[in-house]
Amino acid sequence: MDDYNKLLAENVLTEDKVVTYRLLSRTLQVHANTAKQMLYEFHRTQNARRPGAVHATYLVYGTKNAAGGLSAGQNGPDGDIDMTSSAPEVESLADTVPILTLSLVPEERLNESLAEYDEVSSIHVYSIGPHPTKDFALLADAANEVLGLGAGNDGNSIATITNPWVRRRERQGAGPKTAAASAVKPRAKPIVSKVAQALAPAKVKEEAKPPQPAQNTADKTTSSAPTKKPAPTLKRGAGSGGIMQAFSKAAAKPKKAQPAPTPPSGGDDSTMQAMSDDGEDDAEMPQPKARRTSGSKSRKEREEALKRMMEEDDDEEEEPSEKEESPVEEPMEEEPPVPELAKEEETEIGTTSTNGRRRGRRKVMRKKQITDTEGYLVTIQEPGWESFSEDEPPPRTKPKTISSTLPVQAASKKGGQKTGQGSIMSFFSKK
Amino acid sequence: MVTLDEIADLGLLQKPSGNEPSPLERSESNYKPLDSFALPKDRQYQQQFADIYFLRLAKIKPAVEAVANAAWEDTFLGGETAQQMERVLDVRQGQLCWVIGTVYMDMPLKPSVLEDVSKDRWISAPITTDHYYTEDGGESMMLEDDSGRIRLVGSILKDYFVVTGCIIAVMGTENVNGEFEVIDLKFADLPPQPARWSLSTPSSSSTAKKNTRKIKNEDVEMSDLAQASKKIAIVSGLEFSGTDTSYTMELNLLLEFLLGDALHTPVQTELSQISRLIIAGNSITKTDDATTTTTTTTTPGPPKKPHTKKYGYDSSSYNPLPSQLLDTFLAELLPTMPITLLPGVLDPATASYPQQPIHSAMFPKARQYGPPPAAAGGADEPPGWLDAATNPWEGEIEGWRVLGTGGQNLDDICKYVDSEDRLGMMEAMCRWRCSAPTAPDTLWCYPFQDDEPFVMKECPHLYFVGCQPEFGTKIIEGPQGQMVRLILVPSFAATREIVLIDTETLDVSRVKISA
Repeated sequence: MDDYNKLLAENVLTEDKVVTYRLLSRTLQVHANTAKQMLYEFHRTQNARRPGAVHATYLVYGTKNAAGGLSAGQNGPDGDIDMTSSAPEVESLADTVPILTLSLVPEERLNESLAEYDEVSSIHVYSIGPHPTKDFALLADAANEVLGLGAGNDGNSIATITNPWVRRRERQGAGPKTAAASAVKPRAKPIVSKVAQALAPAKVKEEAKPPQPAQNTADKTTSSAPTKKPAPTLKRGAGSGGIMQAFSKAAAKPKKAQPAPTPPSGGDDSTMQAMSDDGEDDAEMPQPKARRTSGSKSRKEREEALKRMMEEDDDEEEEPSEKEESPVEEPMEEEPPVPELAKEEETEIGTTSTNGRRRGRRKVMRKKQITDTEGYLVTIQEPGWESFSEDEPPPRTKPKTISSTLPVQAASKKGGQKTGQGSIMSFFSKK
Repeated sequence: MVTLDEIADLGLLQKPSGNEPSPLERSESNYKPLDSFALPKDRQYQQQFADIYFLRLAKIKPAVEAVANAAWEDTFLGGETAQQMERVLDVRQGQLCWVIGTVYMDMPLKPSVLEDVSKDRWISAPITTDHYYTEDGGESMMLEDDSGRIRLVGSILKDYFVVTGCIIAVMGTENVNGEFEVIDLKFADLPPQPARWSLSTPSSSSTAKKNTRKIKNEDVEMSDLAQASKKIAIVSGLEFSGTDTSYTMELNLLLEFLLGDALHTPVQTELSQISRLIIAGNSITKTDDATTTTTTTTTPGPPKKPHTKKYGYDSSSYNPLPSQLLDTFLAELLPTMPITLLPGVLDPATASYPQQPIHSAMFPKARQYGPPPAAAGGADEPPGWLDAATNPWEGEIEGWRVLGTGGQNLDDICKYVDSEDRLGMMEAMCRWRCSAPTAPDTLWCYPFQDDEPFVMKECPHLYFVGCQPEFGTKIIEGPQGQMVRLILVPSFAATREIVLIDTETLDVSRVKISA
């Protein structure tokens, strides 16, 4: 019971603060009415010890008399003046109704304020502070402190009036805090990691799996992580996570710390593939680099994320590669001289600089020759995307792609290996 | 005269006794909103406005006809019997007759779209002038229907409030100037009033949470109405501001008052009877930007363009603080009290009447009490605990039919009439059976095609208009015994007042908060 005395002495006498009954009630988790009595008692005992040590404001509620209303209009705050001047008019036009007045009164003016009341139905100490209350704006600041507290805790335990019929929305929309992907992660992870563990051994046998960060992180931003083989279109739509991708990728990679280049539009398939290319690149770098946003994540979480990432990209790679094998293959076999003829014009787009390394994508124009249906040799130019990083020699003499859509698969064909991943590996190792 | 000694035993000016008061329980709110003023999501603005007048005339004319028939049938005046003319164009010079039509007021200061076009003025904000009338006259009143229009003259016109858009019957003769000399005029008067509890059921039997305490409460209501009847609180013009902090304390006290944190147990028990809060418009104050555009109406011109084009959120042109404050206020209050939120002229809702609900995106914290997102169209879904409503809004609270607006309809009527009798204008609106007669003439309005929702089909028991300069209330009665409680809800920012309505007697009381 003496808690409050200590607390109030600390806040009011030592720290020069104004304490309202609501703040006290929230802080001590006591009923508002008890808090009002505590304020009164503290005020009484302190002033008995040393008069004028603390100053109180009172909240008075009741019916004012007509004369009292007038005098309030004269010396009260501006709000009162309108009312008193308008009161006679209202009476002439309309029914008169009882007016109850709730007013906040500093200790010094309590007696004269009370004189304006015909009847007071309730009075209590609103706040106490070390100085006489002159400006209620200061009091408002003190009162506003409670709003933050009230939002934080449940509030129901000490609410004066509860409402048993209160209804909340069943499915809450993504609140301001859950906008970040963090809220989604705990749900998604267990399933994914299990799957990843089950599938990991098989994959390891095949070959080392390069992570495919773009798709993985895209997945993370949507909450569709549990689906093992999401449709490519879904990924594409989700790929627009922009900056989020960069962050979550950095957080998710335990060994490598190259955040993905943020795609300008996050749009098409070629973007994805280009970035997977990058991922491969990263995989070959042995030493870990500084991580940016991984501080908050535990190592285990990161490992899980990595597993998931690997698992995801694996599924990812296999499916399209099977589908698009034939279209990619065809031009390759038909036009062996393409590499020699190809010439690139470059424009850089979406360069990002992370960890001191410049990486990004550039648009290149490639020439290629094909034999058309009538047997003529036709040279066509087509744009393609190519990603690069600074440590690579910027102009790649070796043309990576033929079709603009699937650089990875194209390269894989040249390497003569079966799967997309293998081809990427060989592509880089050749360099 | 009260002295401190007299009230020292009220309970809270003493030592903490150690026993915690038991928490009070708020009364249930029996609430059924009607979506009379909801607009379709895919709104078209291609249509003409003429249909509104046509529909209004078609809907109200039978009622006016009945009233006029009863009053003027076999009226014998100057050797002539008054006859009804079907159309305005049928009126013949010198013949005593009566005719029904829509009033059109031609006023010198009224904004005119033709004038705007001819002067090449393209502005996006509604023009706000104080009034449309001039001191030296110059306005003229016409009566029109789908056939034509005739000028009305006569001293009796000055005895009534008449504005553009209301449907009246006039009796008189056409004079040599082609003007109609009005001897008498009639309105439709109050529409039929539904019985209490016509849409909802009084008992809360549907709620499983009903407990013994509630039953006890209801028993008390049966036996002793005055003591335990529920209340509705109506407030308007909270005008949360990002810059003006002069009444922050009052807003705080209002919150504590409604929460029931303030005051002591007997009063808190009374406050727990407040079962619903209605916010009738203007919850957010206008920004400085808005004031500049409204005050520059005399020198219309394009608003100052920012130097650089910026898409999306621009913190330099938008101050999020007012809506954050409102959100906090709502979120604090909602756990203990359901809220109906009507938009007003300053609120971030549609500009034209009927204003559509403020979007829940404005309330990141309070919206978890809103209706479930999928509830659109679900008839049996309960309304949201925070019910962002239309303006005007119609519904049934505790069985009473309630009609409320954010005040634009009344404010616009006041611009037509050189009078401060706002209650009289409210009454006139009920007697015209039209809650927004000046739409679409001077009150911006959606171009309705199939329905004219402003026609009062049923008489409300309670009609409140928010954001008014001062409080006012009265009861009007209709010819069939209808009783309507009219309330002018004052703007809290100006008067620091809220209105409490007893849901059994519809008695009104005011609470004034002064810090």
